[in-house]
Amino acid sequence: MHDGSGLIAVQNLTKQFGSVTAVQNLSFTVSPGSVTGFLGPNGAGKTTTLRMLLGLVKPTSGTATINGRPFHQLGRPGRVVGAVLEAQGFHPNRTARNHLRVYASAIGVPDAQADQVLGLVGLSTAAGRNVGGFSLGMKQRMAVATALLGDPQVLVLDEPANGLDPEGIAWLRNFLQSFARMGRTVLISSHLLAEVEQTVDQVVIVSRGQTMYYGPLEHLRQQQQRRVFVQPSDVGALATALREAGVQALEQLPDGRLAVSGMDAKQVADAALRAGVSVYGIQEEQADLEQIFFRLTSGQFAGHAPAPYQQQQGGWA
Amino acid sequence: MGDLVQAELRKTTTTTLWWALLIPTVLVALGGGLLSGLLGQSIVEVFSSSEAEQLSDALGVTPDQWKFSLLGIGRTINLATMFPLIFGALAIANEVGTRTITTTFLTAPSRVHAMAAKMMVYALWGTIYGLAIIGFTALGIVLTSNSGQMPDAGGWAMLTLVCVLSSILMTMFGVGLGALIPNSAGVVVLLIMYFLVIENALQLGLRIAGVPETAVGFLPNGSVDGLTGSVAVDLFLADAGVVPEEGVYWLRVIAGAGGAQAWWLSGLIFLAWVAAAFGGGWARMTQKDIT
Ligand SMILES: Nc1ncnc2c1ncn2[C@@H]1O[C@H](COP(=O)(O)OP(=O)(O)OP(=O)(O)O)[C@@H](O)[C@H]1O
Ligand SMILES: [Mg+2]
Repeated sequence: MHDGSGLIAVQNLTKQFGSVTAVQNLSFTVSPGSVTGFLGPNGAGKTTTLRMLLGLVKPTSGTATINGRPFHQLGRPGRVVGAVLEAQGFHPNRTARNHLRVYASAIGVPDAQADQVLGLVGLSTAAGRNVGGFSLGMKQRMAVATALLGDPQVLVLDEPANGLDPEGIAWLRNFLQSFARMGRTVLISSHLLAEVEQTVDQVVIVSRGQTMYYGPLEHLRQQQQRRVFVQPSDVGALATALREAGVQALEQLPDGRLAVSGMDAKQVADAALRAGVSVYGIQEEQADLEQIFFRLTSGQFAGHAPAPYQQQQGGWA
Repeated sequence: MGDLVQAELRKTTTTTLWWALLIPTVLVALGGGLLSGLLGQSIVEVFSSSEAEQLSDALGVTPDQWKFSLLGIGRTINLATMFPLIFGALAIANEVGTRTITTTFLTAPSRVHAMAAKMMVYALWGTIYGLAIIGFTALGIVLTSNSGQMPDAGGWAMLTLVCVLSSILMTMFGVGLGALIPNSAGVVVLLIMYFLVIENALQLGLRIAGVPETAVGFLPNGSVDGLTGSVAVDLFLADAGVVPEEGVYWLRVIAGAGGAQAWWLSGLIFLAWVAAAFGGGWARMTQKDIT
């Protein structure tokens, strides 16, 4: 039996689909008590990795375990791990409630649990409707409801925000965070860092089937050099003072501000005071995670702007 | 395991397919019963006319006591079990098509557990279809012929047994093939074409080519048809008195048991086909990457 630790461990995982290497020697672990983002551009191997973790795809080599066991050794997997893999997987002519009751009995939980999870995802009023008539967002909510049926310890979600309205996204974000705060494990994939930035604590960034970064989101933010924008009364005087203080990277912006790297706002303000320069405005630049993400993952399937226009670079890579 | 069986049972009862297929099953069974009864009755009436009676007396046979309607029963069962066959074929093909197979595998201890639960539930459905088929075929015959045309209680019991067996085996054959070819439209068209057209053409070809008649009894439809057809012919012969050898041959062909082995051997031969289809489907489903 599994150890109940709530730990996800992926070790040297590789999957080859014919000549396509979907996942290459991937390793990471996910601990309980936090939300871990699994990020990478389209085709990076996220879905394949999650499906290997869930025993749906057989790895070419390597292992993926939940609670110390491969999926098929979990015993009653529906009570250990819940998965949202796609807004599909419903018989179009089966009602929402009946769909959940089918899997409630497979997992071995009471029928009442079906109505409970329907309420949780806000679909109570649609319980008697056939899922075939649901909108994309409603199906996504159904997928979440199905994942929650067995009250699992671990949640694995593949791009769950797809099709959700802002309210649904906000609900999911809060839900996942409180789920993790109960000491449970959440692994959520996305191809958009911005989409999960406010939800996740840890990130695993993959590209072309390989791990590019793995650790706390905070560390990733700190890797980005910060810049301070300051609007002084005398640009020349402040620039001189800053250079004397050892600042190398100074840039004067067209709007008359100075962009200062290698110092925080407080240090810049102190330098201005010492130089007798007034400061009309000062702000610290937010670390642009999306740019770090691009730098880590760019390349694969990079799109090009349509030829006649040629003003933009990059597509969805 | 009980939980999974209940889940599989719920899957079948929460959609309309089971009765959408049960309606034509019942209609075919009833229609086949009515037709068998009517034809059997009119044949007996022809033989009962005075000239025919003289002829049969001269030959030493008693066709006015022959239960011709029995021969139609085997044919009716064979045709009506096409529906449980389709029902079985959609068991896995539909799950792959609607992608519910993902959740099915995620909620079962293993794929083997999920498949085994499915097998049990579809065996149950095969039984239900089989009982409906023999029930409505019997009804059709009761409505159209007098008691002299009907088998006795033991005969009905035997027919019920082989009808239910045939229905279960056809359902299982469908489940296996649907797992092997998990494409709903594709597998249904293939099975209908095979059982209604391809194998008949093949049987004809074998006969024309002069291959021994018994070869037919080893084909899928030849064997499953033989399972019920042989029993129908046996019951017919049991009460028929003297029947010329050539006559027996044609009786078997009419009953759908041409070239077939004894009923139990035919059943075992079809069971081997079922095992092959099921084994192939099972292997495919337990290995398949669900992407
Ligand atoms: N069944 C399959 N057969 C062949 N190749 C596959 C199969 N499934 C995935 N691949 C390939 O594996 C690679 C990784 O695909 P995967 O779906 O895991 O990416 P992803 O990170 O989930 O992308 P996305 O953000 O678009 O969902 C892709 O190149 C894809 O074409
Ligand atoms: Mg994906």
